[in-house]
Amino acid sequence: MNIEVIDYKGRKVLALSGEIDMYSSPELRTEMMNIIGEKVSALYIDLGKVSYIDSSGIATFVEGLKYVKSYGGRLQFCSIPGGIMEIFRFSKLDRVFEIFGTLDDAIGS
Amino acid sequence: MKDGLTVSFPSHPKYLSVVRALTGKIANIYGLEETLSEDIKLAVDEACANVIKHAYKGDTKKKIILKYINTQEKFTVIIEDSGVRADLRSIQGRDLEDIRPGGLGVHFIRRVFDVFTFDEKKAKGNRLVLVKYHGKAE
Repeated sequence: MNIEVIDYKGRKVLALSGEIDMYSSPELRTEMMNIIGEKVSALYIDLGKVSYIDSSGIATFVEGLKYVKSYGGRLQFCSIPGGIMEIFRFSKLDRVFEIFGTLDDAIGS
Repeated sequence: MKDGLTVSFPSHPKYLSVVRALTGKIANIYGLEETLSEDIKLAVDEACANVIKHAYKGDTKKKIILKYINTQEKFTVIIEDSGVRADLRSIQGRDLEDIRPGGLGVHFIRRVFDVFTFDEKKAKGNRLVLVKYHGKAE
């Protein structure tokens, strides 16, 4: 997995690529918590180039969501590939995650 | 005709990507449909991750044995370890409606495999047996 922290139009974006699994999710957790630990109003997560996610990756995002909600922030996902979206749906996460087609859609929400 | 492959790998999470690649390739060799093969990759990954986490308690220097067996009737994956015994009755996963970190791996395994059971005859450690019957709708 590769993680890029991008400043896009003044917003913090985590652009992820590759496979998120038990091996790579601790690094994702560290990067994500570093950003939301600063209590940003919104963190955008671009999954456009993610080819795989397992339950440890999902647990990382659920933990992040709980944390941002605790201070009134938002965790927004965009560009989710079909296979990853199917896993989100199965896990009922499409009901609790804010999901957008593109990064600009998320920022404009 | 029975066909199969057995491999072993260290209980380090860095090898899970190898397990996924191998599982996908095996599913391809046995002619399993692409979507099914993706679901099987995820399920086997989750089962091996559970071995590392629960049976070996994070010890990355143990051994996990993976067996793939294909017959006309079914595709079987057997995952063996020598760690702490699992109790099938306590492996439920969380309620899917209860959104919280953890507890999803078992659901990913059960949604694709028709059989999820531990071979009680194994004296030490665990032998998880996962079976997918050919031609049976998910």
